[in-house]
Amino acid sequence: MIEIERLTKRYGATTVVDDVSFRVEEGAIAVVVGTSGAGKSTLLRMINRLVAPSAGRVLVDGEDTMAIPEDALRHRIGYVIQGYGLFPHRTVAENIATVPRLLGWEKRRIAARVEELLDLFQLDPGEFAQKFPHQLSGGQQQRVGVARALAAKPALLLMDEPFGALDPVIRSRAQDDLLAIQRRLRTTVVLVTHDMNEAFHLGDRIAVMDRGRLLQYASPGELLLRPAEAFVEQLVGTAERPFRLLSLTKVGEALEPGHAEGEPILLSATLRDALSQLVWLGREALPVVDAAGAPAGRISIAQILRHGRALP
Amino acid sequence: MSRRAFVLRGLALLLFVAFVTAPQLFAFVFEPLAANRAPAIYNQGSLLALTLSHLRTVALATLASTVLAVALGILVTRPWGQEFLPLSRAIVNIGQTFPPVAVLAIAVPLVGFGEKPAFIALFLYGLLPIFENTLTGLTGVSPQTLEAAKGMGLNARQRLLQVELPLALPVILAGIRLSVIISLGTATIGSTVAAKGLGEVIIAGLQSNNLAFVLQGGLVVALMAVLIHDGLGLAERMAARKPGRHGGEAA
Amino acid sequence: MASLRASLSLDRVGAVIAVLIGVALTAAPFVTYRANRIVAGEGRMLADALPPAGVAAVVLAAIAAAACAALIRRPAIRLAAAALGLCAVFPAVGVSAGFVAPAGNGFARVSPALGFWLLALAFALLAADALMRLRLGPWVRLAALAAAGAAIALLLLSGAWADLSLMKEYAGRAESFWREARQHLWLALGSTGVACLVGLPLGMLGHRIRRLRTALLQVLNIVQTIPSIALFGILIAPLGYLAAHVPLAAALGIRGIGAAPAFVALFLYSLLPVVANTITGLGQVPAAVTDAARGMGMSARQRLVEVELPLALPVILAGIRIALVQNLGMATIAALIGGGGFGTFVFQGIGQTAIDLVLLGAIPTVALSFAAAILLDALIDLTQRGAHDRD
Ligand SMILES: Nc1ncnc2c1ncn2[C@@H]1O[C@H](COP(=O)(O)OP(=O)(O)OP(=O)(O)O)[C@@H](O)[C@H]1O
Ligand SMILES: [Mg+2]
Repeated sequence: MIEIERLTKRYGATTVVDDVSFRVEEGAIAVVVGTSGAGKSTLLRMINRLVAPSAGRVLVDGEDTMAIPEDALRHRIGYVIQGYGLFPHRTVAENIATVPRLLGWEKRRIAARVEELLDLFQLDPGEFAQKFPHQLSGGQQQRVGVARALAAKPALLLMDEPFGALDPVIRSRAQDDLLAIQRRLRTTVVLVTHDMNEAFHLGDRIAVMDRGRLLQYASPGELLLRPAEAFVEQLVGTAERPFRLLSLTKVGEALEPGHAEGEPILLSATLRDALSQLVWLGREALPVVDAAGAPAGRISIAQILRHGRALP
Repeated sequence: MSRRAFVLRGLALLLFVAFVTAPQLFAFVFEPLAANRAPAIYNQGSLLALTLSHLRTVALATLASTVLAVALGILVTRPWGQEFLPLSRAIVNIGQTFPPVAVLAIAVPLVGFGEKPAFIALFLYGLLPIFENTLTGLTGVSPQTLEAAKGMGLNARQRLLQVELPLALPVILAGIRLSVIISLGTATIGSTVAAKGLGEVIIAGLQSNNLAFVLQGGLVVALMAVLIHDGLGLAERMAARKPGRHGGEAA
Repeated sequence: MASLRASLSLDRVGAVIAVLIGVALTAAPFVTYRANRIVAGEGRMLADALPPAGVAAVVLAAIAAAACAALIRRPAIRLAAAALGLCAVFPAVGVSAGFVAPAGNGFARVSPALGFWLLALAFALLAADALMRLRLGPWVRLAALAAAGAAIALLLLSGAWADLSLMKEYAGRAESFWREARQHLWLALGSTGVACLVGLPLGMLGHRIRRLRTALLQVLNIVQTIPSIALFGILIAPLGYLAAHVPLAAALGIRGIGAAPAFVALFLYSLLPVVANTITGLGQVPAAVTDAARGMGMSARQRLVEVELPLALPVILAGIRIALVQNLGMATIAALIGGGGFGTFVFQGIGQTAIDLVLLGAIPTVALSFAAAILLDALIDLTQRGAHDRD
């Protein structure tokens, strides 16, 4: 768990982060969004003290970060940046081993951990361990960057536009991978992005920043239904709103009893996917099955539309 | 240019001119160094004449090397000279491992003492930096720029004169400056082969064991080199600042 | 049709080299003969300079090399042709010295003449062109350097060149030659070494502190501008003062005239490349990399030693290469102020207009600079581990 309390950063007369407070629960993903220059990176970098706060404090698991020696604090917090900052003179294995080595882990333990992480990120250790970063594709470099940040099993992971340099296909795969791994390791994540789709896809909670101020910190649904300011509404995108809302809801929540003809839809799919399928096939309703394939009911366009409204 | 730098430059130039035209004014500075009632100020010739002949040798040699080096640089970057490019680079690399004094020394037995060996050494050694920078400048022009020029219907000659050379100019000028500085030094050593130049003062001091000569010769040559280096740098920045050209390589 | 033309088309570089070889064989004397050290020489064309078998060998090798140069584009074959040519003319000039000089005449001098130099130049150009096109790896280049060194050593030790004027100059001065060689190396390597010891920390400081960086580079730029002999002259006065007034300095062998001002001047000259390249190299380390290193909790020392210095190393080594090559050449000037080194022979040779004596000083100097350049270039390539995406 991480608590940010009245955090402020000033450079001379300009305040780039202005009295920001919020809290990220254990194992949750908080996404920070906002326009360029809003102070997102500065906020993130104050958490691992790469930037010294002008006022306010950060608590990690209840402990004030100022009470922990700077380097020791950073050993406990994973950090991924845009461009990844892989060490070009070190192999993939050596890059991933950086923090465990700084912590003085045993050689054998480090080797085992590197292999485990390479497996986790679907990079064949035999093929990739001894490669240099310049021999990897952008997507592979990104995975090595995240693997390196997770090497010493940090409870907290900070990510500054980690997918910014990837093409759309690779990016959405990398997002899914991150979600899967995060769910498995229960790591708390604070992630900065420009991309609203990414924010809605990944965030348990979303923090909207503008000119150093935190405008709203809420769940994705709340952000859509009750934007705190005009700026938030604009950032979320008025045309996209209903579809975003639908993609937050699972088919299971809009299930109707009964039968329908056609290709069945999974219970765990989002309403957005279901609507897309219905429109594409030109049907009013489709059958729904659970993961095992057993029929669970049906889903209809009318029912879906009811879930995409501002006022239910 | 900041005001202070401007004043500093002016003072240095004034000091240099004053010294070579009226060195006796500075006799008091060097007197303590001249042992055994030796003269404190160089008395075997006029400093002004030496300075002028030093500068003339350097100017002529640099002019000659510039013409040849730029021409060669253009030649090996044209399509029909391209085959010479790798070899040219090798020659530049190898040539720069030759100390200038070796070129000077080898020229003497071939052409005798005097201005000739100095001129040959200055000319040959001065070619390298200019040639190298011409290559760098001309091969450094971005392919997109050239493609655009081609697309606008400029022929090879127009591309060279209107696009490539103007873009390469700051780099070529930097090469000329480097060449001038090396030549100033080589011309100083040229005094050992009886070329007229300021090195004479230092050599005379060394031969007659007169520290006053050695020091004043050293200071005059150093001051002249620094002033010229600085002046050429200034000229380069002016050339680079010409409208429509952003950011030459300011040293 | 097109392929036929391509395969028969003349290689322009090769054609120039072939013409050079032709001129050298037909229009320039191969060696110069002088009755004694001082008198003017007379040129001997190749046909009169060697026994018939030798003439045939040199001509055949030269023509073969010229043909390869002009007609064959495969760099490996051209390199072999260049090697063949060099292997023919280098021993031949030694044989020629024994052949041309009348037997038993100890005063007669034979030295290589324009024809020999042109042939050597042509083969060297052919080799350089081939090597540039082959783009050999660092280890192969080092091996080639070692092989060339071994071949020259073999020629020297076997006595094949013993009759050449140059070697006669050496024979009369063997002892002082090696003394000056040691002095030359000590001046050049020692001053570069001290410049590294001082320049690296200075560069690291300059990288951190902006104001220091500007001032440092400005001052060192001015020092670099001052001609060597002028800087020697300027340093003689203060060092002389030091020697006269500080007993310790005098005890250390510091004197106004001699090696001390030369050493100090060379040190000052080499400071600029070392410092400037250290600053550039450290400045080139990508910001994302240092940021990541900091974010992972590396201390300032760990970042410097494990990340910044290894990444800056190729650029720093490039600075050391510049400094070393420059100092090896500039150390010749030390002889003017009594500092010794190979320049001693150069300036003696100028005084006596004895070109062989000049060459006795100049050739080892050039060879040393050349070897140092190849060695450090290879080292730079070897240290670019994992940084290939930069080029
Ligand atoms: N070291 C610094 N000194 C002065 N101003 C700074 C410094 N670092 C950041 N700033 C300013 O603080 C503001 C916020 O910067 P920050 O990098 O946090 O923005 P951001 O939200 O991450 O933007 P982006 O989306 O473009 O990455 C910017 O206006 C920036 O110019
Ligand atoms: Mg940012």
